[in-house]
Amino acid sequence: MGKKRLISGVVATAEAVRLADVDVITSFPIRPYTGIMSELARMVADGELDAEFIHADGEHAQLSIVYGASAAGARTFTGSSGVGVTYAMEVYSPISGTRLPVHMAIADRTLDPPGDFGSEHTEAESCRDQCWIQGWAATPQEALDLTLLYYRIGEDPRVLLPQYACQDGYFVSHIAGEVEIPDEGQVKEFLPPYKNKHSLNISDPMIIGAQIEPEMGPPLQYQRYIAIQEARKVIAEAYKEFGEIFGRKYSPFVEEYMTDDAEVVIFIQGAHSVTARNVALKLRNHGEKVGVVQLRTLRPFPTEIVRDVLSRFKAVGAVDNSVNYGIAGDGGVLLSEARTALYGLGDKTKTVGFVGGLGGEVITMEEFYKMYAKLKEIAKTGKVERDSYWLPYEL
Amino acid sequence: MNLDVKKLFEEPSLIQITTWARGVIENKDARDVVFALANAGSKEGKYVQAWENYVDLPDRVGVPVRAYARISDEPLLSKYVYENEHPDVVVLTNEALVKGNDVLQGMKPGGVLIVNTKRDPEYILKFLKDTTYLGTIGCIDATEVAGHVQTLSGAEGATDASGIGVGVGAVLAGAVVKAKSIVKPENVLSSVQNEEACRYGYDEVRLVTVNTTFPEFKPAPKKPLGPEDLPFAGTVPSVDKENEKRITGNWRSERPVWSKERCTNCLLCWVNCPDSVVVYKTPEAADFTNLKYCKGCGICAEVCPTKAITMVPELDFED
Repeated sequence: MGKKRLISGVVATAEAVRLADVDVITSFPIRPYTGIMSELARMVADGELDAEFIHADGEHAQLSIVYGASAAGARTFTGSSGVGVTYAMEVYSPISGTRLPVHMAIADRTLDPPGDFGSEHTEAESCRDQCWIQGWAATPQEALDLTLLYYRIGEDPRVLLPQYACQDGYFVSHIAGEVEIPDEGQVKEFLPPYKNKHSLNISDPMIIGAQIEPEMGPPLQYQRYIAIQEARKVIAEAYKEFGEIFGRKYSPFVEEYMTDDAEVVIFIQGAHSVTARNVALKLRNHGEKVGVVQLRTLRPFPTEIVRDVLSRFKAVGAVDNSVNYGIAGDGGVLLSEARTALYGLGDKTKTVGFVGGLGGEVITMEEFYKMYAKLKEIAKTGKVERDSYWLPYEL
Repeated sequence: MNLDVKKLFEEPSLIQITTWARGVIENKDARDVVFALANAGSKEGKYVQAWENYVDLPDRVGVPVRAYARISDEPLLSKYVYENEHPDVVVLTNEALVKGNDVLQGMKPGGVLIVNTKRDPEYILKFLKDTTYLGTIGCIDATEVAGHVQTLSGAEGATDASGIGVGVGAVLAGAVVKAKSIVKPENVLSSVQNEEACRYGYDEVRLVTVNTTFPEFKPAPKKPLGPEDLPFAGTVPSVDKENEKRITGNWRSERPVWSKERCTNCLLCWVNCPDSVVVYKTPEAADFTNLKYCKGCGICAEVCPTKAITMVPELDFED
């Protein structure tokens, strides 16, 4: 059994990286990720972790270095926030295309301008289609667990894909929560050493990223497509084994809270799902049949599971903590993908979007109350007046 | 639906013209041929397009590159393609292109081949492997009257500010319409800068009939590559000896010929050859034994202090 500590998400992430015994770490400071970097630097300096620690000259370099290190067979860690995440955009597709299980922590930060350091999922979601495994932790404990889970999933020979383990900046990254830190023995049992099908080898040289012709595009993209399909199965297996070894059982794709007889639910990911749960509990005490469906894995999107779960309710409110200017329905990714998942089932489940917490602003309990009230109204009247509402101005 | 897809998308009036040329030094000439013909077609109210092959490596000196035109009485259905799969006319701006390139590949029955050469059609025919569907071959010495125009103007889809049909392209376009009346000769003349050269090509091309009857034309449909046809993640073993996948001998217009008598075995050619064509086994056995990678750049002849290496037109050799 591990020991319990009261720590923030950044420390929990660093603890997981230490336990995963990574070989190469690259860093470049940007709030709120900076804390992870500092904690890891301390661990390496104090001899708690034996890893190459490379302070890069920017996020593009950070990702480029772990790209090479992972190709050489190293278990790698990097991380960033906000514009740092988007600055490294070029390198995401080469890493997944080369099938290297680089691990990246994203502690969310709003994109500029102006220089708002509050949390928004926008930057991480803008990278969601680069064939990386991606999901959100809602607590420091989940941040630690997600890190270990993602190394295991990404390095599985059936997957071999990089991962973004995301946590809401400040809310998860900087506010301490109780975290059970596992024993090294448990982690060793869960996470076998990283071994790729192809690693750089001086006696058997290999070319990565050679120029190809357009007709070679489809087969290579298809290889990657099959890998992320396969990841769905591996994710389920990994979460199951994680529960058996560490005793913390998560639902790998969507976590349901008070949904058994619920009529309306909030569909949400990340830190704000904690507030949503607290509001749902309060409303339950007053006899309201409301619940929360927390999305754990954004990529690969669990289409069938989301369809099966959400179709049980009369009304679903998808809460997007991101900006997707001009998107269909004027909501966000969660609204669009929930609607896509529900497509073809008729009009039984009404869907509506709520865009909230922008710039890192708190999504208040009063706002969740208003969302539930709107959902109840939609469930009662069967009428969806508009696709989505921007908080706090439109609700 | 149960339609005959092949029939459904047939374009019976579509004429495909493919020009082969040497990268950088003849790109412009290749473009001129196809643009002159397409522009002439446009004047006649035909549907046209002309473009350069996007997959070839146009910025390598001597590499075989292609340019295409499509001319039709009907609106073009297959506009967004990489290649002319079944050319009616093939033009070579350089005679040596007949070596190491399957220039007649996919040619429709009765197709035309026009070659910029001072040699006879009969000699050129010796180098063509499969002439089953070739109807006519025509030879014209375009370089003699017009010369090659070297410019990047008009490359990579940009506007050609240097004018269409200044050099050998005008001659070859004239020769094409003599061999096959795709468009009216007067419209080609008015589409090129150098009318005289174009008229010369029309008047002087030596045409020889190769075949008059043809077996049924049944091109095999292209099979797409599957995920198992490519290595994992697109990584490939690094080449540490010879790269069989990138033979560059077909870039060569002139061949280095080595004189053992004049050679002092100084090995400057071995040092300077960019493609490891000069194989150095022992000081007595340095030799040009690996011509399959020789691009004919001539650096070896240039650096040789005893003039033991001379550059000879590639088509002087029948091997």
